[in-house]
Amino acid sequence: MILTWPIDILVLFAVTTPIAYLAGTKLRVEKLADTWSVIGFIFSIISLYFLYQEVSVGRIITYYWAGQQLRGVAMLKIDMLGVFMAGIFLFIGLLTAIYSVRYMEHDSGHAEYYTLLLLMVSGMVGVAFAGDFFTFFLFWELMCITSYVLVAFRKEKWEPIEAGFKYFVMSSAGSATVLFAMSILYGMTGSLNFAYLSTTLSTSASPWSVLAMAMIVTGLGVKAAIVPFHSWLPDAHPAAPSSISAMLSGVVIKTGVYGLVRIMILVFAPDAYHWQFALAILAVLTMTVGNLMALLQSDLKRLLAFSSIGHIGYILFGLSAATIYGLTGGLFHVMNHAMSKALLFLCSGAFLLAIESRNLDDLAGIGRKMKITGLVFIIGALALAGVPPLNGFQSEFMILLAGIQNGAGNGTWYWLSAIMIMNILFSVAYYLRLVQILILKEPSSLASKAKEAPMSMLFPMVILAIMCIIVGVYPGPFVDLANKAAQAAFNLDVYVKSVVG
Amino acid sequence: MIPVAYYLTTSFVLFVVGMYCLAVKRNMIKLIIGIEILTSAANLNFIALSAYGKPGEVDPLGHTFAIMSIVIGACVVAVALTIAVHAYRHYKTLDVRELKRLRW
Repeated sequence: MILTWPIDILVLFAVTTPIAYLAGTKLRVEKLADTWSVIGFIFSIISLYFLYQEVSVGRIITYYWAGQQLRGVAMLKIDMLGVFMAGIFLFIGLLTAIYSVRYMEHDSGHAEYYTLLLLMVSGMVGVAFAGDFFTFFLFWELMCITSYVLVAFRKEKWEPIEAGFKYFVMSSAGSATVLFAMSILYGMTGSLNFAYLSTTLSTSASPWSVLAMAMIVTGLGVKAAIVPFHSWLPDAHPAAPSSISAMLSGVVIKTGVYGLVRIMILVFAPDAYHWQFALAILAVLTMTVGNLMALLQSDLKRLLAFSSIGHIGYILFGLSAATIYGLTGGLFHVMNHAMSKALLFLCSGAFLLAIESRNLDDLAGIGRKMKITGLVFIIGALALAGVPPLNGFQSEFMILLAGIQNGAGNGTWYWLSAIMIMNILFSVAYYLRLVQILILKEPSSLASKAKEAPMSMLFPMVILAIMCIIVGVYPGPFVDLANKAAQAAFNLDVYVKSVVG
Repeated sequence: MIPVAYYLTTSFVLFVVGMYCLAVKRNMIKLIIGIEILTSAANLNFIALSAYGKPGEVDPLGHTFAIMSIVIGACVVAVALTIAVHAYRHYKTLDVRELKRLRW
């Protein structure tokens, strides 16, 4: 065990995937590399479950992966919040890997594709487990670099290359900004451990620490697509292969949100830094721009990408309430949005495979030809729109309630919550427009030739749709998980004491 | 010994230069150089601040981080140059204004 089992297994399978691919071509076994990576995800999820059993009783696992205890550097710190996020990452990763087996069939470079996918997920899990900025930055860059390559994976077309380069420039500028902020924090305290930083910085704000905080919000905000820094997302997400779009929109942007949750609560404590209101303004701006722009799109995947920006706004609004209830809603929405947005992107991939077009006019009525895909598409769209018996409603409602509760202290929160309600109503408009175009219209000439997606692509989509319904109808245990995660995020004393003593 | 403020000023100037480069330059290679300048600003900060934490002592942590950041920077640039090469094969130019759909 080098980096705790879930990450170890992912990295091990990532390294051995090319070997499996080579063995597959030599022995003439079809799809050996694909199966191999799916097995890797399954093993990783099982090992994560053992971690969950240890952590769920309130323990925090501290683990020095470099072998020696050098002042809290190179440390993994696994609490309920980390396990919760890692669980979402691995679950979506597994379904994406299963989906890719048929979806990427006609592309070359399977060995590279699965290696990069496994490494990207291991980077995200590492970010969720990181206990200091050193580890955080290492895994953060692992995730970023692999996602640049995956966006530009179909290099023979112009669009992925352009989008990949734009994504690269904006995202690595964001990473460099975070790095600069880390250097300032290091100069102030002489340490990079979250717990040490929390003891020294979270009591009072100084100009330098406020500068570092602003830089961290900017840098992580680029990855999370908060509005002034969002312009890469609607280019990069549609250009990637659909399975990767599902990963990017479903979970990679959530890694930025996770970083914000962890750092803003632990290092820059809300009581001393008072960032709630500024973050709420950003959140409202993000959701408004995302939803407004989504209404104008005529490209299916681009529309979904803009709606991701809108949902990041909701999640951020939950965080900016800075209460356990608000963060519970935010984290619960992270989970729900990951499931339903991954579902919609996987559906759009199935449509893309069937008729080779993302234009809504070409896709009109395709749901009548691809009945199962169309059905799960409706479920996903309604879930994101926040229609009551589905999962999106539950978490959006919690976030709204948290915002309104904050209104008791500061009346402006009522207005911000009102804007969020308007946003939700507004977003229903374009989701219903999608359903109307894709399902109710007469099939277009292209769409009438479409055939139903193969079984192994339908399987992850159906699983996600069933999960959307289950979480919506019976949210208890899932809210409980999110609540435990939010409590772990706010439980500063236990977290700090387990390192500083 | 040179006061730490000089190093901090230099690294801030480097950071601003890097951001200016990203905002103004239109050549792909120059954009990649801009990213490198941003990273080196942070690296300079780490190295400088590691020497000024305690008088007469140099903290190895800052150096560790700087070395790791250089390694990661090399990986990032390798990926970026690969993308630039493929863009050049498509368009026969490195000018980002020539790329059709991007709004820079």
